[in-house]
Amino acid sequence: MRCTYGLLMSGVALAAPGFAPAAESLGKDLTATIVLHNMPCDKVVNAKRNSDSDYNASCQDGNRYHVYIDAAGHVAVQKL
Amino acid sequence: MAVPARGADTQPAPARGSTPAVSATGTKANASVASPPKTVAAAPSGPQPAQHAGTRSASATGTTATARAAAAPATLDLKSLEQRLRDTKAIGVFTKLSLKIQVDDLLADMKAFHGGRSLPPLPELRQSYESLLLKVVTVLQNGDPQLASAVSASRDSIWTLLSDPKKFSEIT
Repeated sequence: MRCTYGLLMSGVALAAPGFAPAAESLGKDLTATIVLHNMPCDKVVNAKRNSDSDYNASCQDGNRYHVYIDAAGHVAVQKL
Repeated sequence: MAVPARGADTQPAPARGSTPAVSATGTKANASVASPPKTVAAAPSGPQPAQHAGTRSASATGTTATARAAAAPATLDLKSLEQRLRDTKAIGVFTKLSLKIQVDDLLADMKAFHGGRSLPPLPELRQSYESLLLKVVTVLQNGDPQLASAVSASRDSIWTLLSDPKKFSEIT
């Protein structure tokens, strides 16, 4: 819980340098989403769009995730 | 890049409930933690005169009333709170959807609890609730501090609604 909170804090608090505003916003969204799924990610620094609501996110700490909305309408986070 | 199979290691947020709350995807008309706006009756704010001899002094009564007013929950407009969560640009769609699913889970657990099914006891549900609220406030506090404060200030009021079977049935 404390760990989640800490990660969440750092994830949403930091803006990624070099990100355009929209990309920065997406980065924050993906970071918060990954952390809400109890997976480690200090900050998303790169996100590749696969399709609508479907991204591959790379975190600064090296973790990579597939974040997407599944057929049931739920957000899924899959470690790559 | 090939899209990986959506199977192993996938961790979709569980969704047992059917009453969305913090939804942003418009997948369903939401009733969730929503209820008609509820306004908590204001406690008397000023000193109340002693009505007759033998009652507490006016000063003591006034102090009590003031303390009561301070302790009274702020006006809770759940509908508007929910709408503000939907509308805020402080958090993105993925985050809103993830939170919504967790809210749905909590509501499902509360519903089961009130239904008498053996589930986590109330203190555990309260802990889940506090944890979820903390997440909501955390993701909001940088982008929409006012909404974060509003959510935080409504913490006890919302729990009162959730934990009271009668009130809970009115909002679900």
